[in-house]
Amino acid sequence: MKPVLIGLVAACFPAALWAQDITATEAVVPLAPPGVMTHAAYLTLHNTGQGTRTLIGVQVDGYAMAHLHSSEDKNGVATMSVLHGLEIGAGQTVTLEQGGMHIMLMHPAAPLTEGAEVALTLQFANGETVEVTAPVKRLGYGS
Amino acid sequence: MKQLVAFLLWMIAAAPVTAQVQGVKLDEPVELPAFAFENGIGETFNADTLQDQWTIVMFGFLSCPDVCPFTMGNLEATIAEMGLRVRPDNVPKVVFLSVDPDRDADLISTYAKFFHPDFQSFTGDRTDIDALIEATDSFYRLMPADEDGYYEVQHSSSVSVIAPDGTLRAKLQPPFDPGLTAEFLSQLQIQYRREAS
Repeated sequence: MKPVLIGLVAACFPAALWAQDITATEAVVPLAPPGVMTHAAYLTLHNTGQGTRTLIGVQVDGYAMAHLHSSEDKNGVATMSVLHGLEIGAGQTVTLEQGGMHIMLMHPAAPLTEGAEVALTLQFANGETVEVTAPVKRLGYGS
Repeated sequence: MKQLVAFLLWMIAAAPVTAQVQGVKLDEPVELPAFAFENGIGETFNADTLQDQWTIVMFGFLSCPDVCPFTMGNLEATIAEMGLRVRPDNVPKVVFLSVDPDRDADLISTYAKFFHPDFQSFTGDRTDIDALIEATDSFYRLMPADEDGYYEVQHSSSVSVIAPDGTLRAKLQPPFDPGLTAEFLSQLQIQYRREAS
């Protein structure tokens, strides 16, 4: 009976089951200098499912646009490239962190305030979406 | 025995490289050309303001979501580390220079202060920007705008270190680990004083 029931539920809510494969942790939007129209969000994605998942876009409340980007150092020059799809293999963890992959947030509707929360909707190639809440924090850097 | 010799040779070969990971000292000091920047809140940046203190100059742009805030945050931590290692008047002053004056002129004065109240940020005429870029062997390029009108600015990831005599002495390099960068700067200052005396 149980497998039948799970099968039925899966048939009714396929997205709900897929969504359990991807979890996002350590989401953060670093507090940005005043007035700056472009900043970033970072997070770690875990794929506990059986298949590769591809993050293809991010929709972020309170911003005109959000792009998936990667910072790279090419022969001493800091460059950014657009990520057209970020693959997360089965069982893999992918980290977006400072100096590397990031979600570029553009044109905030209101200034960022410490302690606020930014709602991100991660869009995957299979049509699934994952909702993440990222707190706005002033980052500390120490060695 | 052979392995030991090989290991010792490796140690000798590897040590200087490891020690320089966070920065590169120039073989010869480089004189800087005349330049002048101001930011509307009474701060100025020119050949005179370089005198009698160490200065760290980062080139970047304000619409830089990742690398610039990351570098500035690490420089703030580096300055905190320097405060533990050197006399207060040897703690470097940090200057952020935007190479994107068209977008950044109105906001520039508050940018660096977000990272530390003593940090300063400027932008200005391209002639002055380009002169400083060239003299420090740095680089920037405004990229074509995307469909949303955003344009990226590629820029040198390294940061210039200017001695109290106004000459360029070294470059700091990513990943700007604050402890290692402060150690590199402290050693640079010791060498500078030794050469001056």
